[in-house]
Amino acid sequence: MKIKFGQDRVLTSQEIGRRFSILRTALALLLAMGIAILLIFLVSNNPFRDINSLLLGPLSSSNRISQMVNKWIPLLFTGTAVCLFFSVGQINLAAEGAFFAGAFTSTLVAIIGGIPPGLHFILCALAGGVAGAIVCGLPGIMYTKFNVLTVVSSLMINYVVLYLGLFIITNVVRDPAAGYEASYRFQNTARLAELIPGTNVHSGLIIAVLIVVFGYLLLHKSNFGLQMRTIGANSSFARYSGMPVARVIVLSQLLGGFIAGLGGTTEVLGLYNRFGYTGLTNHGWDGIMLAVLARNNPKYIPLAALFLAYLRTSADVLNLTSNVPSEVINIIQAIIISFIAAERFLAGWEYRTIVRNTEKAMSLKEGVANE
Amino acid sequence: MSDLLSMVFTADFLGSVIRMSTPILFVALAALVGRKADVLCIAYEGIMLFAAFGGVVGSAYTGTVTGGLLLGILLGMFLIGIFAYFVLYLHTRPLLIGLALNILGSAGTVFGLYILTGSKANSTRLGSLTFPEVHIPLIKDIPVLGTVLSGHNVLTYVAFLSIIIVQIFIYRTGLGLRIRSVGESPEAASSLGIDVNKTKFIALLISGVLASMGGIFLSMAYLPYFTRDMTAGRGFIGIAAESLGGGKPLLTGIWILIFGAADAVGNLAQSFRLPSQFAQMAPYLTTLIGLVLISVVRERKKVNR
Repeated sequence: MKIKFGQDRVLTSQEIGRRFSILRTALALLLAMGIAILLIFLVSNNPFRDINSLLLGPLSSSNRISQMVNKWIPLLFTGTAVCLFFSVGQINLAAEGAFFAGAFTSTLVAIIGGIPPGLHFILCALAGGVAGAIVCGLPGIMYTKFNVLTVVSSLMINYVVLYLGLFIITNVVRDPAAGYEASYRFQNTARLAELIPGTNVHSGLIIAVLIVVFGYLLLHKSNFGLQMRTIGANSSFARYSGMPVARVIVLSQLLGGFIAGLGGTTEVLGLYNRFGYTGLTNHGWDGIMLAVLARNNPKYIPLAALFLAYLRTSADVLNLTSNVPSEVINIIQAIIISFIAAERFLAGWEYRTIVRNTEKAMSLKEGVANE
Repeated sequence: MSDLLSMVFTADFLGSVIRMSTPILFVALAALVGRKADVLCIAYEGIMLFAAFGGVVGSAYTGTVTGGLLLGILLGMFLIGIFAYFVLYLHTRPLLIGLALNILGSAGTVFGLYILTGSKANSTRLGSLTFPEVHIPLIKDIPVLGTVLSGHNVLTYVAFLSIIIVQIFIYRTGLGLRIRSVGESPEAASSLGIDVNKTKFIALLISGVLASMGGIFLSMAYLPYFTRDMTAGRGFIGIAAESLGGGKPLLTGIWILIFGAADAVGNLAQSFRLPSQFAQMAPYLTTLIGLVLISVVRERKKVNR
């Protein structure tokens, strides 16, 4: 219901809802920053410098900005991947494992010599993507075929993948000359080039942006995406209206897994010259958080991911320049997610505003009718 | 290989299975109570960490084990209280607030550790206490059985007793009945005058106490100090074990012993040059296979009916 009446324009319920969700976000940010500042005062020996690095640290040099962009890239992949999982209503937490699987599988291809550049990266990307698809597809298949709870199976798969990957890296492709637990060097033909010369930003950024666009178009502009969202909203309805529910669920998990795996590939081939992870990287968990903040719409993933990348860069700055434990950043992150996700936070106020506006709208309408 | 088999059936081995099962058992029972109230909480990692940290700090500053126990449970309940408030009253998706609280559990304890000790790794400097071991009279003198059953930490016995306590609580008490009714059919329960949110809140608090005990076991029995992220995924394994047990305390307990055995076999196998990664993978892989097998069996039963 939208009523425009001279100067007295009355807001619709949806508009009020949107304003309140912005207000909730702003309050969550304020609250989290307040607590962060409190914690910094508690431990820091130079609180004003440290609060400054928390708020503005990532912008303090071009080096740090490019660092932030590099932190942004993998989040675009996992965020989009999880949007696909969650849109069909599957709480698949295996993006973490898929990212790791993508990283170590593409390592196996990246150390082979004699493949022309360009083709080499494509082969690595395929290997990483397929590995990711298998990791995330399994919980989907287990759910549709055996009715196994996706949350539980995907959590377990993450750890299986972690130890499988570590086994392969330390027993099959470990380079004794590296000096630490790492694979042989990647061939230069496989690595991603710098995107902007002079900075560390790698060309995985282009792939990442394409993936986000692809995810958005798939979910919101394609027939398949409509089926996905229908199943996510009401799977019985989708089934009765004749949609191939199981197939759509499995396919979307495979696709999301491919994206998360590809993220792992671009991360290792863009930033490092060997595979050196010794544990899960948390990119998958970050993706879950981003998908929820973006309400499963890939369109908002870049903004949410930029925010997270900014926080993470702040943590690095704090680590380097102060005695404040960078865990402060994780505490902030936890508070922000909680309050943004709290749908009924400020609900009473929101409800009263909507009622008041509707009453106003009704009276205006009556006024028109009386005339 | 025959060496491995002969080692598996030793008393020491069975004893270590029981010891390793303890924290997971607590979490699984916690998850079970939560499940009966129809709330999936994945925040047990964070809750256990808070409790483990609270136990160490409480015992170090009061000089008593009881002080540690109380502070540990208090901190654990505080965290699950936040979870319950957000889920039940602010309508937050349980997955999300659970995720946030796991982050908070990990970061908050490291931050606290840093403030109190100046170290971000462990709490050895605090000099905290541990729970005593119990040597059961008579049983401890039986040759094999004595080594298996006696000499465990007191919390281990509490954990195994909790199976029975939770069984009785859920199926034989009024509150247990109310929890099951709000879990299975909130509308029906509410039409009978049961306050649905309040009942779920209480169930979650009880679940929090159980999970906290698991955390306290880690830092006051399994190890004599707190280390960062010492839960190492046990909160998640507990949820998986509960899911394998299908909401039945006794069955859950049996599954946990199978887990513990997989874990312990993995550890043993390392001394036979099996790569350590496969040992670490064992409990997770067992769960996955178990999940599929169980659901196949359940589907069969349904078809036969």
